[in-house]
Amino acid sequence: MTVDPTVPGQRRWPLPKQADPDAPLLRVEDLAVRFRMPNGSVKAVDGVSFGLDHGEALGIAGESGCGKTTTALSLVKLLPANGYVKAGKVELFGIDLVPKTETQIARYRWREIALVFQGAMNALNPVQRIGDQIAEPIEIRLGQPRESSRKRAEELLELVGIPRERAASYPHELSGGMRQRAMIAMALACDPAIVIGDEPTTALDVMVQAQILQLLEQLRRDLGLSLMLITHDLSVIAETCDRVMIMYAGRVAEEGQVRRVFAAPRHPYTQKLLSAFPNVRTDRRTLEVIPGLPPDLRNPPPGCRFAPRCPAAMQVCSEVVPPEVRFADGVRVACHLYPTSDLISAPDGLTRMDALGAGEPQS
Amino acid sequence: MNAHYLARKLAQAFVTIVAILILNFLMFRMMPGSPDRVIKNPNLTPEMIAATRARWGLDKPLLPDQLVAYVKATVSGDLGYSIFYRGQPVTDVLGASVGPTILLVGLGELFAIIGGLTIGAYAGWRRGGKADSIGTGASLILYSMPYFVIGMPLVVIFAAGLGWFPTSGMTTPGMSDQPLPSQVLDLGRHLVLPLLAVTLGLLGGYSILMRSSIIDTRTEDYITTARAKGLQDGYVLRHHAFPNALLPMVTLIAINLGYVVAGAITAEIVFNWPGLGTLTIHALSARDYPVLQGIFLLVAVSVVIANLVADIVYGFLDPRVRA
Amino acid sequence: MTTTAVPPAAASPIQRRPPPAGRARAFAGRFLSRSDGRLGLLILVFFALLAIFPDLFVGKLETATTATGKSLQPPGGGYLFGTDELGRDILNMTVHGARISMTIGLMATVITVMLGALVGIVAGYVGGKTDTILMRISDFFLVLPTIVLAIILAPVILDVVGADAELFGIRATMIVIVVVIGLTSWATTARVIRSQVLSIKMRMFVDRARVVGSGPGRIMRRHVLPNVINLIVAQAVLTFAIAVFTETTLAFIGLGDPFAPSWGQILNSAQGAGAPGLGAWWYIAPPAICVVLVVLAFTLVGNALDDILNPRSGVRR
Repeated sequence: MTVDPTVPGQRRWPLPKQADPDAPLLRVEDLAVRFRMPNGSVKAVDGVSFGLDHGEALGIAGESGCGKTTTALSLVKLLPANGYVKAGKVELFGIDLVPKTETQIARYRWREIALVFQGAMNALNPVQRIGDQIAEPIEIRLGQPRESSRKRAEELLELVGIPRERAASYPHELSGGMRQRAMIAMALACDPAIVIGDEPTTALDVMVQAQILQLLEQLRRDLGLSLMLITHDLSVIAETCDRVMIMYAGRVAEEGQVRRVFAAPRHPYTQKLLSAFPNVRTDRRTLEVIPGLPPDLRNPPPGCRFAPRCPAAMQVCSEVVPPEVRFADGVRVACHLYPTSDLISAPDGLTRMDALGAGEPQS
Repeated sequence: MNAHYLARKLAQAFVTIVAILILNFLMFRMMPGSPDRVIKNPNLTPEMIAATRARWGLDKPLLPDQLVAYVKATVSGDLGYSIFYRGQPVTDVLGASVGPTILLVGLGELFAIIGGLTIGAYAGWRRGGKADSIGTGASLILYSMPYFVIGMPLVVIFAAGLGWFPTSGMTTPGMSDQPLPSQVLDLGRHLVLPLLAVTLGLLGGYSILMRSSIIDTRTEDYITTARAKGLQDGYVLRHHAFPNALLPMVTLIAINLGYVVAGAITAEIVFNWPGLGTLTIHALSARDYPVLQGIFLLVAVSVVIANLVADIVYGFLDPRVRA
Repeated sequence: MTTTAVPPAAASPIQRRPPPAGRARAFAGRFLSRSDGRLGLLILVFFALLAIFPDLFVGKLETATTATGKSLQPPGGGYLFGTDELGRDILNMTVHGARISMTIGLMATVITVMLGALVGIVAGYVGGKTDTILMRISDFFLVLPTIVLAIILAPVILDVVGADAELFGIRATMIVIVVVIGLTSWATTARVIRSQVLSIKMRMFVDRARVVGSGPGRIMRRHVLPNVINLIVAQAVLTFAIAVFTETTLAFIGLGDPFAPSWGQILNSAQGAGAPGLGAWWYIAPPAICVVLVVLAFTLVGNALDDILNPRSGVRR
């Protein structure tokens, strides 16, 4: 992949030395992450696999505590002190990041994979001006001189819709929406291959949320960014993402193209999740609730982790871990209801898609 | 600096100083047989006594006349006359002793802040590591030792035992005739042990507090952001964690200032350092109330001013307050 | 097709509190599993024994008249810690000093904690103007360093009352030190407890009691107090450390009682006799090490208690 900084959507900096130019952007295989706690080891992520291609937007959805954030953080080993990657492969441009040491993996942080955190009040250093915070990785990680780093920071601010002069402001002087934009500008500082947004709009009101999503979409088009959006809000995913991965209790329940998964959810959990969202256009007046609580991940139940709460649970579900099955239309499901990959059509496809405002479904 | 913030802090300091003055005044009057007892200073001439009576309005009612007279007199620098020091004005007596104390305490604070904050930051950053165990253990022990408990062994080992430093005093008698470089060297030799005592005495507390602050800061989200940027661990500590952890320390150091001066009193006793501390001891045993009150006033007001300065410095360091 | 039932334990979010005996044992277990708690407790038990039964270890307190040794002898010849300038056995005085130092510390702590807790609870619960006034007063006392206040108050009180006066059989000098420490330390405790009371005030059961019609005094006693007891205990232990520290300092300055040789008083005599300059380390080391150990032990235990008893957001240990 040659580098031409003048072409929009092209990288400005060369690939890492070990990169394989023909390899897919990101492939995660059987990722397992544990947390050491005083009374046991929490199996937060247990056998998660997925991929991300150039220019794609992948949404990761699920309840709180299902392991979405942990998965994202573990890609560049940003876990807290008691967390570690137990097994699996994280291949970025074909380079496996899991066996890398702290010093080695620092090379990939921000320059290849950048993160936008939730609630940017605390995610920005309160005693440093935002312009300096954006310029910091350009200066330190890319070795650029201070002046040009500052200039580039101002360019990035304009890119996300913040006037240049605000580069001298402190985080507390900005509104919530502006802080989130500043975080996005900061994430773009080193022209990363992948930007991961961890609940980037959750703390914002609906209008600002729409603006941020629009911004992300525009940046994706103009800069050819690949995006990973972590959220519990399915409507955000429906609007912005190409593919969605539904997680439950540290495992993948279902994954595939957004239209297919939302129009015809196969996994019972996905179905429940979708029906828990209010629908402006239909007459449905009650929201469905999934009874029970997610399992304690220190001692997860054997077999399928959703079995205790699943309305369609069978005997085998609480004994055997459901294997992952890939359908012809590209959707993956891990559920004993689908022991083979025969394509099954789902009812009420149109209604669901419309409700989430994702536009016309494809057949 | 926000004018409103500054004005508020100045007003608070002013009110506190007024309260201190009133407290001092009341204690002055609470003394047995006072104020005549104080006036009955054998070292004062009858004229001086009469003048003092008039200036302090001792023949007038207690409030508000005497209070007003007292405040006026104090503000204009009249703190009475020392009993022990043969009728010298208290201001002169205090003035002679302040310098050595400021030298000792000032340098001690400086080194303790630099040392304590650094040790505390590293101990807290690598919490549970070796640097933490050793650093925190040593800090806890030092924190439990009053200055004189540190000072006395220092004298025994390094002065009486090894003879590297003099056992007491600030200068060797007869030094004032010598050329300046020798005087400075002599002062330095005398300064080492007392300075070491004060520095070590303060260091422990600062280290423990800084460690706490860094541990709190470490869990903040912007530290995760800094790590996510691929910045090196040491860089994150120095550029992101340390400046933020420093903010609460400024307040704590200022509050501590009063205790430092008070504690330095005990350090001075061990080394016979001719500062406010030694002065206090002599005044105490001689029941030299005017001098004691002068010391009380001086130290209390300094503490208030130190807190004020700290508030102002904090205002400069934390942009959130400035707005 | 059988449906798996939801396990009852997972579904119930309400936890029942274990019975008091179970709680006490759980607490003891947590406390003893901490190395700082263990070490501190061990040291304190040792010194408590010395303080309660000094005669068992070294016999009665030696005075100037009963001293049998030669002046300023280094350790040896039957004197484990040597002798002071009057020929008294330093081991003897150090062991007896435990009782004196700890007693003064205890009395000062009781005053500080009672006053501080009272002010803290009232200020926190009543709020409003009372709170502002009380906090202003406590701020003033926070600013004043102990020693500075002591050097003014102590001689004044002693002169008024007379150095040999006694109250309930306790000498005036001791009372002065206790009062002075109490006066300068209560403010910290008051502030800490007030914060806790403020957060308790927002909890439902206090509101319920108010609706039922309980008066403020009753509420403060029966509802607020039990919930701050933990904090008070942790504060008390830390205050004890400061009290011993301060008493030692005040005695060293000369505000102590020459007839009741606390460790600070012994060090005062040592300094007066020129011990440091003469290299008489045996006069200095025993009381000094005892003070450091006791203050350290109280600090360790206090920190351990504070960590265990007071829930804070974010696990510290």
